[in-house]
Amino acid sequence: MSWKLKKKKESPEIPTSSMADIAFLLIVFFMVTSVFSVTRGLEFQLPTDQPEEQNQTAEEATHIRIEPSGADCSYTIDNNPTNLRDINVYLQPILARNPNKFVIIDPLPEAPYKCMVNVFDELKQGDVKNISIPTQAEKDAWGSIM
Amino acid sequence: MADIAFLLIVFFMVTTTITVDRTPVELPTSLERTEVPKDAAVIAVTEDGAVHFSDGEEDSRLINMEDLLPSAAFIMSKNSLKFFLIKADGEAEYRYIDQVMEQLRQASVRNIAMLTQQEGTG
Repeated sequence: MSWKLKKKKESPEIPTSSMADIAFLLIVFFMVTSVFSVTRGLEFQLPTDQPEEQNQTAEEATHIRIEPSGADCSYTIDNNPTNLRDINVYLQPILARNPNKFVIIDPLPEAPYKCMVNVFDELKQGDVKNISIPTQAEKDAWGSIM
Repeated sequence: MADIAFLLIVFFMVTTTITVDRTPVELPTSLERTEVPKDAAVIAVTEDGAVHFSDGEEDSRLINMEDLLPSAAFIMSKNSLKFFLIKADGEAEYRYIDQVMEQLRQASVRNIAMLTQQEGTG
């Protein structure tokens, strides 16, 4: 009687039973860690500090003032009260005469940022080429712009 | 099943971007939106005016408003075409954004974008 065990012949293969587990673990990891980052917005370019580019005087520009009013804002264009949707109605005839017309956005410091973005968005849709958003320091340097 | 699982893994691996800034802000909405470069520096402004800054590579950190100028100037000394993203809360008072813009102007920054979300999505 022979005690020698018969060696079972196994075909070589990679164990794949745990592969699905690992795969789902990785799926869960990526689902949890992935955030849909916002990569879109309103682009603009600041002017250079060369004085010849700042030759446009404030009187020649259209002036949009933004004041906080409750949860929203009130808008004044060239001293005429207006609402957001009428800004382009007012601007289009002016831009037809002078496409390079400067438009100054002048939000009060207390106004919410979203109102400035709303006006900027409106101007972009109206194809306004020259939009100026002077900072408080620039306004102080100019004196009162209106 | 494993095929589908790997397909999903590949999808998430491709779409996952490492965001440098995770400051929770409620972005303003706009209809006009253009794609901005992914390696841009990020300036996040919360509703109460706290400023978080990232150079686009390292994670954002809380900084004082006055420290924005040297940070931006340092970046501009390395790459004068660098994009700066303003990721500000729509309810933040404009004075904070005004201060940010003033610092960027002094640092001779040219390219700026204000991050927005699509109007209508809330």
